[in-house]
Amino acid sequence: MQAALIEPQATSNQEIERRVRSTSRLSAATALGIYQNSYRLRIAACMRDQFPALCYALGEGLFNDFVAEYIRQAPPESYTLYDLGRRFAGFLQANRPDLDAPVPELWVDFIIDLARFERQIFSTFDCAGAEGLHLAQQTTRDSDLCVQPSLSLAAYGFPVGDYYHAVRQEKSPRPPDRERVYLAVLRKDYVTHTIPVSFAHFVFLQEMCRGGTVGSALSAVSQQLSQDLAQVEKAWNEVSEIRDSWINAGFFLDRSRA
Amino acid sequence: MKATPAKRAEITDLPKLGLGLGLRNTHFDHILNHWPDVDWFEAISENFMDSGGRPRQVIRKVAERYPVVLHGVSLSIGSSDPLDMDYLQRLKLLAQEVQPQWISDHLCWTGVMGLNSHDLLPVPLTEATLDHIAARVLRVQEILDRPLILENPSTYLDFRANTLSEPEFLRALCERTDCGLLLDVNNVFVTCFNTENDPSDYFDSFPWNRVVQMHLAGHTDCGTHLIDTHDQPVRPEVWALFSLAWKRSNGAATLLEWDGNIPSFGECHQELLKAKAYMNGGTAQLSGKYVPVPGALAVSNPVNFLVPDVMAGSAELEDR
Ligand SMILES: [Fe+2]
Repeated sequence: MQAALIEPQATSNQEIERRVRSTSRLSAATALGIYQNSYRLRIAACMRDQFPALCYALGEGLFNDFVAEYIRQAPPESYTLYDLGRRFAGFLQANRPDLDAPVPELWVDFIIDLARFERQIFSTFDCAGAEGLHLAQQTTRDSDLCVQPSLSLAAYGFPVGDYYHAVRQEKSPRPPDRERVYLAVLRKDYVTHTIPVSFAHFVFLQEMCRGGTVGSALSAVSQQLSQDLAQVEKAWNEVSEIRDSWINAGFFLDRSRA
Repeated sequence: MKATPAKRAEITDLPKLGLGLGLRNTHFDHILNHWPDVDWFEAISENFMDSGGRPRQVIRKVAERYPVVLHGVSLSIGSSDPLDMDYLQRLKLLAQEVQPQWISDHLCWTGVMGLNSHDLLPVPLTEATLDHIAARVLRVQEILDRPLILENPSTYLDFRANTLSEPEFLRALCERTDCGLLLDVNNVFVTCFNTENDPSDYFDSFPWNRVVQMHLAGHTDCGTHLIDTHDQPVRPEVWALFSLAWKRSNGAATLLEWDGNIPSFGECHQELLKAKAYMNGGTAQLSGKYVPVPGALAVSNPVNFLVPDVMAGSAELEDR
Protein backbone atom coordinates (compact mmCIF):
# COMPACT_ATOMS: atom_id res chain seq x y z
CA MET A 1 0.00 0.00 0.00
CA GLN A 2 2.88 2.32 0.80
CA ALA A 3 4.38 1.70 -2.63
CA ALA A 4 1.01 2.66 -4.10
CA LEU A 5 1.15 5.97 -2.23
CA ILE A 6 4.66 6.87 -3.26
CA GLU A 7 4.52 5.58 -6.84
CA PRO A 8 0.82 5.57 -7.81
CA GLN A 9 1.56 4.69 -11.45
CA ALA A 10 3.51 1.59 -10.48
CA THR A 11 0.53 -0.24 -8.96
CA SER A 12 -1.69 -2.24 -11.29
CA ASN A 13 -5.47 -2.19 -11.03
CA GLN A 14 -5.41 -5.97 -10.83
CA GLU A 15 -3.18 -5.89 -7.80
CA ILE A 16 -5.44 -3.33 -6.13
CA GLU A 17 -8.56 -5.39 -6.91
CA ARG A 18 -6.92 -8.44 -5.42
CA ARG A 19 -6.44 -6.71 -2.08
CA VAL A 20 -9.17 -4.12 -1.76
CA ARG A 21 -12.91 -4.70 -1.85
CA SER A 22 -14.95 -2.47 -4.14
CA THR A 23 -18.23 -1.09 -2.82
CA SER A 24 -21.34 -0.11 -4.72
CA ARG A 25 -20.08 3.49 -4.78
CA LEU A 26 -16.30 3.13 -4.84
CA SER A 27 -14.11 0.86 -6.92
CA ALA A 28 -11.03 -0.51 -5.21
CA ALA A 29 -8.80 1.80 -7.26
CA THR A 30 -10.89 4.87 -6.41
CA ALA A 31 -10.78 4.00 -2.73
CA LEU A 32 -7.01 3.67 -2.83
CA GLY A 33 -6.94 6.88 -4.86
CA ILE A 34 -8.39 8.76 -1.88
CA TYR A 35 -5.24 7.90 0.09
CA GLN A 36 -2.97 8.65 -2.86
CA ASN A 37 -4.51 12.08 -3.38
CA SER A 38 -4.52 12.95 0.28
CA TYR A 39 -0.86 11.99 0.63
CA ARG A 40 0.17 14.23 -2.25
CA LEU A 41 -2.03 17.16 -1.28
CA ARG A 42 -1.23 16.99 2.43
CA ILE A 43 2.53 17.00 1.89
CA ALA A 44 2.26 19.83 -0.63
CA ALA A 45 0.14 21.90 1.79
CA CYS A 46 2.63 21.29 4.53
CA MET A 47 5.56 22.30 2.33
CA ARG A 48 3.73 25.48 1.30
CA ASP A 49 3.49 26.32 4.98
CA GLN A 50 7.21 25.76 5.46
CA PHE A 51 8.29 27.59 2.28
CA PRO A 52 5.74 30.40 1.79
CA ALA A 53 8.14 32.75 -0.02
CA LEU A 54 9.44 30.05 -2.35
CA CYS A 55 5.86 29.07 -3.13
CA TYR A 56 5.11 32.71 -3.92
CA ALA A 57 8.24 33.01 -6.09
CA LEU A 58 7.53 29.87 -8.12
CA GLY A 59 3.76 30.08 -8.15
CA GLU A 60 1.75 27.35 -6.44
CA GLY A 61 1.54 25.05 -9.48
CA LEU A 62 5.27 24.89 -10.14
CA PHE A 63 6.03 24.73 -6.42
CA ASN A 64 3.72 21.72 -6.04
CA ASP A 65 5.41 20.04 -9.03
CA PHE A 66 8.82 20.45 -7.39
CA VAL A 67 7.43 19.06 -4.14
CA ALA A 68 5.87 16.06 -5.90
CA GLU A 69 9.23 15.19 -7.45
CA TYR A 70 11.00 15.90 -4.15
CA ILE A 71 8.91 13.44 -2.15
CA ARG A 72 9.11 10.90 -4.93
CA GLN A 73 12.91 11.04 -4.72
CA ALA A 74 13.09 11.54 -0.98
CA PRO A 75 9.91 10.28 0.72
CA PRO A 76 9.38 11.54 4.28
CA GLU A 77 11.31 9.56 6.86
CA SER A 78 10.69 11.26 10.13
CA TYR A 79 7.79 10.96 12.56
CA THR A 80 7.59 14.74 12.53
CA LEU A 81 6.41 16.96 9.71
CA TYR A 82 8.93 19.57 10.80
CA ASP A 83 11.53 17.43 9.07
CA LEU A 84 9.73 17.50 5.74
CA GLY A 85 11.64 20.44 4.26
CA ARG A 86 15.08 19.54 5.59
CA ARG A 87 16.40 18.15 2.31
CA PHE A 88 14.47 20.43 -0.05
CA ALA A 89 17.22 22.95 -0.85
CA GLY A 90 19.63 20.06 -1.43
CA PHE A 91 17.09 18.42 -3.73
CA LEU A 92 16.70 21.64 -5.74
CA GLN A 93 20.49 21.98 -5.98
CA ALA A 94 20.90 18.38 -7.17
CA ASN A 95 18.07 18.70 -9.68
CA ARG A 96 18.83 22.18 -11.04
CA PRO A 97 17.00 22.66 -14.33
CA ASP A 98 20.06 24.57 -15.67
CA LEU A 99 22.62 21.79 -15.24
CA ASP A 100 23.44 21.84 -18.97
CA ALA A 101 23.63 25.61 -19.24
CA PRO A 102 27.11 27.18 -19.57
CA VAL A 103 26.48 29.51 -16.64
CA PRO A 104 24.08 28.99 -13.73
CA GLU A 105 20.80 30.76 -14.25
CA LEU A 106 19.95 33.56 -11.90
CA TRP A 107 16.43 32.38 -10.99
CA VAL A 108 17.67 28.89 -10.18
CA ASP A 109 20.34 30.26 -7.86
CA PHE A 110 17.69 32.45 -6.29
CA ILE A 111 15.16 29.70 -5.54
CA ILE A 112 17.86 27.49 -4.02
CA ASP A 113 19.02 30.33 -1.78
CA LEU A 114 15.45 31.14 -0.83
CA ALA A 115 14.79 27.49 0.06
CA ARG A 116 17.93 27.47 2.24
CA PHE A 117 16.86 30.65 3.98
CA GLU A 118 13.31 29.47 4.59
CA ARG A 119 14.65 26.30 6.16
CA GLN A 120 16.97 28.40 8.34
CA ILE A 121 14.12 30.59 9.53
CA PHE A 122 11.59 27.73 9.91
CA SER A 123 14.04 25.84 12.11
CA THR A 124 14.52 28.91 14.28
CA PHE A 125 10.83 29.23 15.16
CA ASP A 126 10.79 26.09 17.27
CA CYS A 127 14.42 25.15 18.03
CA ALA A 128 16.00 25.42 21.46
CA GLY A 129 16.28 29.10 22.34
CA ALA A 130 17.44 31.56 24.96
CA GLU A 131 14.06 31.93 26.64
CA GLY A 132 14.62 31.01 30.26
CA LEU A 133 18.41 31.43 29.98
CA HIS A 134 20.56 34.39 31.00
CA LEU A 135 21.17 36.70 28.08
CA ALA A 136 24.35 38.73 28.23
CA GLN A 137 24.17 42.36 29.30
CA GLN A 138 26.35 45.33 28.33
CA THR A 139 28.37 44.72 31.49
CA THR A 140 29.09 41.07 30.67
CA ARG A 141 32.82 40.52 30.14
CA ASP A 142 33.98 39.39 26.70
CA SER A 143 35.33 36.17 28.18
CA ASP A 144 31.81 35.32 29.40
CA LEU A 145 30.08 35.82 26.05
CA CYS A 146 28.81 32.77 24.20
CA VAL A 147 26.17 32.56 21.49
CA GLN A 148 22.62 31.71 22.40
CA PRO A 149 21.20 28.36 21.13
CA SER A 150 18.94 29.65 18.34
CA LEU A 151 21.50 31.88 16.57
CA SER A 152 22.52 30.73 13.10
CA LEU A 153 24.48 32.42 10.32
CA ALA A 154 24.38 31.90 6.57
CA ALA A 155 25.67 33.55 3.42
CA TYR A 156 23.42 34.06 0.40
CA GLY A 157 23.79 35.34 -3.13
CA PHE A 158 20.52 37.28 -2.97
CA PRO A 159 18.76 39.49 -0.41
CA VAL A 160 16.52 36.57 0.56
CA GLY A 161 15.68 38.05 3.97
CA ASP A 162 14.13 41.17 2.44
CA TYR A 163 12.27 39.05 -0.08
CA TYR A 164 10.94 36.62 2.51
CA HIS A 165 9.72 39.31 4.86
CA ALA A 166 8.13 41.23 1.98
CA VAL A 167 6.16 38.10 1.03
CA ARG A 168 5.02 37.58 4.60
CA GLN A 169 3.84 41.19 4.69
CA GLU A 170 1.98 40.59 1.41
CA LYS A 171 4.00 43.22 -0.44
CA SER A 172 4.27 41.12 -3.64
CA PRO A 173 8.04 41.58 -4.14
CA ARG A 174 9.73 41.06 -7.52
CA PRO A 175 12.62 38.61 -7.79
CA PRO A 176 15.77 40.45 -6.67
CA ASP A 177 19.11 40.86 -8.43
CA ARG A 178 22.23 39.14 -7.21
CA GLU A 179 23.70 40.60 -4.05
CA ARG A 180 25.98 38.95 -1.52
CA VAL A 181 24.30 39.02 1.90
CA TYR A 182 25.12 37.54 5.29
CA LEU A 183 22.17 36.88 7.57
CA ALA A 184 22.03 36.17 11.26
CA VAL A 185 18.75 34.56 12.36
CA LEU A 186 17.79 34.15 15.98
CA ARG A 187 14.79 33.97 18.30
CA LYS A 188 14.36 36.22 21.29
CA ASP A 189 11.24 36.13 23.49
CA TYR A 190 9.65 33.85 20.89
CA VAL A 191 10.05 36.39 18.10
CA THR A 192 12.28 35.32 15.21
CA HIS A 193 14.60 38.05 13.89
CA THR A 194 16.60 38.25 10.66
CA ILE A 195 19.60 40.53 10.99
CA PRO A 196 21.84 41.40 8.02
CA VAL A 197 25.54 41.56 8.99
CA SER A 198 28.78 42.40 7.16
CA PHE A 199 31.25 39.77 5.98
CA ALA A 200 33.61 40.48 8.88
CA HIS A 201 30.75 40.15 11.35
CA PHE A 202 29.66 36.96 9.64
CA VAL A 203 33.12 35.46 10.11
CA PHE A 204 33.18 36.57 13.74
CA LEU A 205 29.75 35.21 14.59
CA GLN A 206 30.23 31.99 12.70
CA GLU A 207 33.36 31.27 14.70
CA MET A 208 31.42 31.92 17.89
CA CYS A 209 28.61 29.64 16.72
CA ARG A 210 31.22 26.90 16.38
CA GLY A 211 31.87 27.30 20.09
CA GLY A 212 34.60 29.92 19.75
CA THR A 213 35.37 32.77 22.12
CA VAL A 214 35.56 36.48 21.37
CA GLY A 215 39.33 35.97 21.15
CA SER A 216 39.22 33.14 18.64
CA ALA A 217 36.51 34.94 16.66
CA LEU A 218 38.74 38.04 16.35
CA SER A 219 41.60 35.80 15.16
CA ALA A 220 39.29 34.28 12.54
CA VAL A 221 38.40 37.76 11.30
CA SER A 222 42.05 38.76 11.15
CA GLN A 223 42.91 35.65 9.14
CA GLN A 224 40.00 35.70 6.72
CA LEU A 225 40.25 39.43 6.02
CA SER A 226 44.07 39.38 6.07
CA GLN A 227 44.19 42.10 8.64
CA ASP A 228 46.52 42.59 11.51
CA LEU A 229 45.13 40.92 14.66
CA ALA A 230 46.06 43.87 16.87
CA GLN A 231 44.13 46.14 14.54
CA VAL A 232 41.06 43.89 14.61
CA GLU A 233 41.16 43.69 18.42
CA LYS A 234 41.52 47.43 18.64
CA ALA A 235 38.49 47.94 16.41
CA TRP A 236 36.44 45.54 18.55
CA ASN A 237 37.37 47.35 21.75
CA GLU A 238 36.99 50.88 20.42
CA VAL A 239 33.79 50.53 18.42
CA SER A 240 31.42 49.24 21.05
CA GLU A 241 28.20 49.88 19.05
CA ILE A 242 28.39 46.54 17.31
CA ARG A 243 28.90 44.64 20.53
CA ASP A 244 26.13 46.62 22.22
CA SER A 245 23.65 46.10 19.40
CA TRP A 246 24.31 42.38 19.27
CA ILE A 247 23.87 42.09 23.00
CA ASN A 248 20.61 44.05 22.80
CA ALA A 249 19.41 41.83 19.98
CA GLY A 250 20.02 38.77 22.17
CA PHE A 251 22.95 37.17 20.30
CA PHE A 252 24.81 36.16 23.44
CA LEU A 253 24.36 34.39 26.73
CA ASP A 254 26.33 35.21 29.84
CA ARG A 255 28.38 32.07 30.44
CA SER A 256 29.11 33.04 34.05
CA ARG A 257 25.40 32.95 34.94
CA ALA A 258 24.66 29.62 33.26
CA MET B 1 12.92 -8.42 50.24
CA LYS B 2 11.84 -7.33 46.79
CA ALA B 3 9.91 -4.09 46.57
CA THR B 4 6.55 -4.49 44.87
CA PRO B 5 6.49 -2.29 41.79
CA ALA B 6 3.95 0.53 41.93
CA LYS B 7 0.73 -0.60 40.31
CA ARG B 8 0.19 0.83 36.86
CA ALA B 9 -2.98 2.84 36.35
CA GLU B 10 -5.85 0.96 34.78
CA ILE B 11 -8.31 2.48 32.40
CA THR B 12 -11.08 2.24 34.96
CA ASP B 13 -9.05 4.69 37.10
CA LEU B 14 -9.06 7.32 34.36
CA PRO B 15 -11.24 10.36 34.99
CA LYS B 16 -14.33 11.58 33.13
CA LEU B 17 -12.91 14.91 32.01
CA GLY B 18 -16.01 16.48 30.50
CA LEU B 19 -15.81 18.58 27.32
CA GLY B 20 -12.39 19.49 25.93
CA LEU B 21 -10.75 21.17 22.96
CA GLY B 22 -7.60 20.57 20.94
CA LEU B 23 -4.66 22.79 21.90
CA ARG B 24 -3.92 24.57 18.61
CA ASN B 25 -1.23 27.18 17.85
CA THR B 26 -3.76 29.64 16.46
CA HIS B 27 -5.47 29.72 19.87
CA PHE B 28 -2.36 30.06 22.06
CA ASP B 29 -2.72 33.79 22.65
CA HIS B 30 -6.40 33.54 23.42
CA ILE B 31 -5.88 30.73 25.90
CA LEU B 32 -3.00 32.41 27.72
CA ASN B 33 -4.80 35.75 27.88
CA HIS B 34 -8.25 34.51 28.91
CA TRP B 35 -7.82 31.10 30.53
CA PRO B 36 -11.18 30.08 29.04
CA ASP B 37 -13.65 27.92 30.86
CA VAL B 38 -12.88 24.65 29.07
CA ASP B 39 -12.77 21.36 30.99
CA TRP B 40 -9.56 20.05 29.44
CA PHE B 41 -7.19 20.16 26.45
CA GLU B 42 -5.83 17.56 24.08
CA ALA B 43 -2.40 18.24 22.56
CA ILE B 44 -0.95 16.53 19.48
CA SER B 45 2.17 14.95 20.97
CA GLU B 46 4.33 15.45 17.87
CA ASN B 47 3.64 19.18 17.82
CA PHE B 48 5.12 19.59 21.28
CA MET B 49 7.62 16.81 21.93
CA ASP B 50 10.48 18.36 19.93
CA SER B 51 9.56 21.96 20.52
CA GLY B 52 12.20 24.19 22.05
CA GLY B 53 10.08 27.25 21.36
CA ARG B 54 6.69 28.64 22.13
CA PRO B 55 4.57 25.46 21.85
CA ARG B 56 6.59 23.87 24.64
CA GLN B 57 6.22 26.94 26.83
CA VAL B 58 2.49 27.09 26.17
CA ILE B 59 1.78 23.44 26.93
CA ARG B 60 3.67 23.73 30.22
CA LYS B 61 1.53 26.70 31.24
CA VAL B 62 -1.69 25.06 30.07
CA ALA B 63 -0.86 21.86 31.94
CA GLU B 64 -0.53 23.86 35.16
CA ARG B 65 -4.17 24.90 34.90
CA TYR B 66 -6.06 22.25 32.96
CA PRO B 67 -6.08 18.48 32.64
CA VAL B 68 -4.14 17.64 29.49
CA VAL B 69 -4.18 14.55 27.28
CA LEU B 70 -1.46 13.67 24.75
CA HIS B 71 -2.74 12.46 21.40
CA GLY B 72 -0.21 11.06 18.92
CA VAL B 73 -0.23 10.43 15.20
CA SER B 74 3.14 8.74 14.64
CA LEU B 75 3.32 5.73 16.93
CA SER B 76 2.47 3.54 13.92
CA ILE B 77 1.37 0.68 16.13
CA GLY B 78 0.33 -1.40 13.09
CA SER B 79 3.61 -1.07 11.18
CA SER B 80 5.91 -4.00 10.48
CA ASP B 81 8.91 -1.79 11.27
CA PRO B 82 10.34 -2.01 14.78
CA LEU B 83 8.86 0.45 17.28
CA ASP B 84 10.62 3.81 17.11
CA MET B 85 12.37 3.93 20.47
CA ASP B 86 13.63 7.46 19.96
CA TYR B 87 10.06 8.60 19.39
CA LEU B 88 8.81 6.72 22.46
CA GLN B 89 11.52 8.20 24.67
CA ARG B 90 10.68 11.72 23.53
CA LEU B 91 7.01 11.04 24.14
CA LYS B 92 7.84 9.77 27.59
CA LEU B 93 9.88 12.89 28.36
CA LEU B 94 7.02 15.13 27.29
CA ALA B 95 4.66 13.07 29.44
CA GLN B 96 6.94 13.48 32.45
CA GLU B 97 6.83 17.20 31.88
CA VAL B 98 3.10 17.75 31.37
CA GLN B 99 1.70 14.76 33.31
CA PRO B 100 -1.11 13.94 30.89
CA GLN B 101 -4.22 12.12 32.05
CA TRP B 102 -3.50 9.57 29.34
CA ILE B 103 -1.67 9.06 26.05
CA SER B 104 -3.49 8.03 22.91
CA ASP B 105 -2.73 7.19 19.29
CA HIS B 106 -4.49 5.41 16.44
CA LEU B 107 -5.16 1.88 15.28
CA CYS B 108 -3.16 2.35 12.08
CA TRP B 109 0.25 2.38 10.51
CA THR B 110 1.94 5.45 9.08
CA GLY B 111 4.71 3.82 7.06
CA VAL B 112 7.10 0.91 6.64
CA MET B 113 10.78 0.57 5.74
CA GLY B 114 11.65 3.75 7.53
CA LEU B 115 9.23 5.95 5.62
CA ASN B 116 6.34 7.98 6.97
CA SER B 117 3.32 8.82 4.83
CA HIS B 118 1.99 11.15 7.53
CA ASP B 119 -1.36 9.47 7.15
CA LEU B 120 -3.27 7.05 9.36
CA LEU B 121 -3.35 4.01 7.09
CA PRO B 122 -5.76 1.14 7.74
CA VAL B 123 -4.53 -2.20 9.07
CA PRO B 124 -5.90 -5.51 7.77
CA LEU B 125 -8.35 -6.67 10.43
CA THR B 126 -7.11 -10.25 10.82
CA GLU B 127 -5.94 -12.57 13.61
CA ALA B 128 -2.36 -12.21 12.41
CA THR B 129 -2.49 -8.42 12.62
CA LEU B 130 -4.13 -8.71 16.00
CA ASP B 131 -1.24 -10.85 17.31
CA HIS B 132 1.27 -8.39 15.92
CA ILE B 133 -0.41 -5.26 17.27
CA ALA B 134 -1.23 -6.77 20.66
CA ALA B 135 2.44 -7.56 21.22
CA ARG B 136 3.40 -4.01 20.29
CA VAL B 137 0.73 -2.45 22.51
CA LEU B 138 2.06 -4.45 25.46
CA ARG B 139 5.58 -3.24 24.73
CA VAL B 140 4.49 0.41 24.41
CA GLN B 141 2.54 0.20 27.66
CA GLU B 142 5.61 -1.19 29.35
CA ILE B 143 7.80 1.63 28.05
CA LEU B 144 5.33 4.39 28.85
CA ASP B 145 4.29 2.67 32.05
CA ARG B 146 0.63 3.42 31.48
CA PRO B 147 -2.24 2.03 29.43
CA LEU B 148 -2.26 3.06 25.80
CA ILE B 149 -5.52 4.49 24.45
CA LEU B 150 -6.19 3.69 20.78
CA GLU B 151 -8.52 5.46 18.40
CA ASN B 152 -10.55 4.03 15.53
CA PRO B 153 -9.34 5.86 12.39
CA SER B 154 -11.39 7.04 9.43
CA THR B 155 -10.97 4.54 6.65
CA TYR B 156 -11.58 4.81 2.95
CA LEU B 157 -11.06 1.23 1.93
CA ASP B 158 -11.85 -2.27 3.04
CA PHE B 159 -9.23 -5.03 2.69
CA ARG B 160 -10.42 -8.30 1.21
CA ALA B 161 -8.26 -10.03 3.80
CA ASN B 162 -10.33 -8.65 6.71
CA THR B 163 -11.83 -11.39 8.84
CA LEU B 164 -12.86 -9.26 11.82
CA SER B 165 -14.95 -6.14 12.07
CA GLU B 166 -13.24 -3.11 13.60
CA PRO B 167 -15.23 -3.38 16.86
CA GLU B 168 -14.36 -7.09 17.11
CA PHE B 169 -10.71 -6.33 16.49
CA LEU B 170 -10.63 -3.56 19.10
CA ARG B 171 -12.49 -5.70 21.65
CA ALA B 172 -9.98 -8.51 21.24
CA LEU B 173 -7.09 -6.07 21.44
CA CYS B 174 -8.43 -4.64 24.71
CA GLU B 175 -8.91 -8.10 26.16
CA ARG B 176 -5.35 -9.08 25.37
CA THR B 177 -3.60 -5.88 26.41
CA ASP B 178 -5.88 -3.98 28.80
CA CYS B 179 -5.52 -0.95 26.58
CA GLY B 180 -8.28 1.65 26.42
CA LEU B 181 -10.17 3.12 23.50
CA LEU B 182 -10.74 6.54 22.07
CA LEU B 183 -13.97 6.31 20.12
CA ASP B 184 -14.06 8.86 17.33
CA VAL B 185 -17.77 9.15 16.64
CA ASN B 186 -17.21 11.01 13.39
CA ASN B 187 -14.76 8.33 12.23
CA VAL B 188 -17.38 5.66 12.90
CA PHE B 189 -19.78 7.54 10.67
CA VAL B 190 -17.18 8.16 7.94
CA THR B 191 -15.79 4.61 7.97
CA CYS B 192 -19.22 2.99 8.01
CA PHE B 193 -20.35 5.16 5.09
CA ASN B 194 -17.21 4.43 3.07
CA THR B 195 -17.22 0.68 3.73
CA GLU B 196 -21.02 0.34 3.54
CA ASN B 197 -21.57 -0.69 7.12
CA ASP B 198 -24.22 0.44 9.54
CA PRO B 199 -23.06 2.69 12.41
CA SER B 200 -25.69 1.17 14.70
CA ASP B 201 -24.25 -2.31 14.11
CA TYR B 202 -20.81 -0.84 14.82
CA PHE B 203 -22.08 0.62 18.09
CA ASP B 204 -23.89 -2.59 19.05
CA SER B 205 -20.70 -4.61 18.87
CA PHE B 206 -18.36 -1.96 20.31
CA PRO B 207 -16.63 -2.69 23.64
CA TRP B 208 -18.05 0.35 25.45
CA ASN B 209 -16.54 -0.52 28.80
CA ARG B 210 -13.10 0.24 27.34
CA VAL B 211 -13.94 3.76 26.12
CA VAL B 212 -11.92 6.42 27.91
CA GLN B 213 -12.41 9.25 25.47
CA MET B 214 -14.46 10.30 22.45
CA HIS B 215 -13.78 12.58 19.48
CA LEU B 216 -16.21 14.74 17.60
CA ALA B 217 -15.33 16.42 14.31
CA GLY B 218 -16.72 17.61 11.00
CA HIS B 219 -16.26 15.73 7.75
CA THR B 220 -16.70 16.52 4.07
CA ASP B 221 -19.26 14.80 1.87
CA CYS B 222 -17.74 14.00 -1.53
CA GLY B 223 -20.85 12.23 -2.82
CA THR B 224 -19.42 8.75 -3.29
CA HIS B 225 -17.48 8.92 -0.05
CA LEU B 226 -16.91 10.98 3.07
CA ILE B 227 -13.55 12.48 4.03
CA ASP B 228 -12.51 13.20 7.57
CA THR B 229 -11.43 16.80 7.11
CA HIS B 230 -11.88 18.31 10.61
CA ASP B 231 -12.56 21.64 8.96
CA GLN B 232 -16.21 22.32 9.69
CA PRO B 233 -18.96 21.89 12.27
CA VAL B 234 -20.08 18.46 13.39
CA ARG B 235 -22.77 17.02 11.12
CA PRO B 236 -26.27 16.37 12.49
CA GLU B 237 -25.96 12.61 11.89
CA VAL B 238 -22.79 12.58 13.96
CA TRP B 239 -24.43 14.51 16.78
CA ALA B 240 -27.16 11.89 16.80
CA LEU B 241 -24.55 9.15 17.12
CA PHE B 242 -22.80 11.12 19.86
CA SER B 243 -26.00 11.22 21.83
CA LEU B 244 -26.04 7.41 21.87
CA ALA B 245 -22.31 7.18 22.47
CA TRP B 246 -22.49 9.51 25.46
CA LYS B 247 -24.98 7.19 27.12
CA ARG B 248 -23.23 3.97 26.22
CA SER B 249 -19.80 5.20 27.25
CA ASN B 250 -21.21 6.50 30.49
CA GLY B 251 -20.13 10.05 29.75
CA ALA B 252 -16.55 9.50 28.56
CA ALA B 253 -14.29 12.56 28.16
CA THR B 254 -15.32 14.23 24.92
CA LEU B 255 -13.21 16.35 22.63
CA LEU B 256 -13.98 18.43 19.54
CA GLU B 257 -11.31 18.28 16.82
CA TRP B 258 -11.04 21.23 14.45
CA ASP B 259 -7.86 21.26 12.38
CA GLY B 260 -8.48 22.96 9.06
CA ASN B 261 -9.83 26.52 8.56
CA ILE B 262 -9.74 26.77 12.35
CA PRO B 263 -12.19 29.43 13.53
CA SER B 264 -11.72 31.58 16.62
CA PHE B 265 -11.42 29.90 19.98
CA GLY B 266 -14.89 31.17 20.87
CA GLU B 267 -16.45 29.54 17.84
CA CYS B 268 -14.75 26.20 18.49
CA HIS B 269 -15.91 26.37 22.08
CA GLN B 270 -19.50 27.13 21.03
CA GLU B 271 -19.46 24.12 18.72
CA LEU B 272 -18.14 21.95 21.55
CA LEU B 273 -20.80 23.15 23.97
CA LYS B 274 -23.52 22.00 21.56
CA ALA B 275 -22.63 18.57 22.90
CA LYS B 276 -24.51 19.41 26.09
CA ALA B 277 -27.80 19.42 24.21
CA TYR B 278 -27.16 15.87 23.03
CA MET B 279 -26.06 14.39 26.32
CA ASN B 280 -29.50 13.80 27.75
CA GLY B 281 -31.84 14.34 24.89
CA GLY B 282 -31.26 11.76 22.17
CA THR B 283 -31.55 13.55 18.86
CA ALA B 284 -31.87 16.95 20.45
CA GLN B 285 -32.55 20.21 18.68
CA LEU B 286 -29.98 21.58 16.31
CA SER B 287 -29.15 25.16 16.94
CA GLY B 288 -27.99 27.35 14.09
CA LYS B 289 -27.92 26.64 10.41
CA TYR B 290 -25.75 23.91 9.03
CA VAL B 291 -23.78 24.96 5.99
CA PRO B 292 -21.67 22.21 4.46
CA VAL B 293 -18.28 23.15 3.07
CA PRO B 294 -17.86 22.07 -0.56
CA GLY B 295 -15.55 19.09 -0.83
CA ALA B 296 -14.05 19.19 -4.29
CA LEU B 297 -10.46 19.01 -3.05
CA ALA B 298 -11.04 17.60 0.38
CA VAL B 299 -7.87 16.31 2.01
CA SER B 300 -8.22 14.02 4.96
CA ASN B 301 -6.78 15.76 7.96
CA PRO B 302 -6.65 12.99 10.51
CA VAL B 303 -5.36 15.20 13.28
CA ASN B 304 -3.74 18.42 12.40
CA PHE B 305 -1.16 16.83 10.19
CA LEU B 306 -0.49 20.18 8.63
CA VAL B 307 2.47 21.80 10.26
CA PRO B 308 0.86 23.43 13.20
CA ASP B 309 1.37 27.02 12.24
CA VAL B 310 4.64 27.53 14.05
CA MET B 311 5.30 30.12 11.40
CA ALA B 312 2.32 32.07 12.66
CA GLY B 313 4.78 33.31 15.29
CA SER B 314 6.18 36.77 14.74
CA ALA B 315 9.15 37.24 12.48
CA GLU B 316 10.98 40.52 12.00
CA LEU B 317 13.61 41.84 9.67
CA GLU B 318 15.96 44.31 11.29
CA ASP B 319 17.10 47.41 9.45
CA ARG B 320 20.57 47.40 8.10
FE1 LIG C 1 -10.08 11.64 15.97
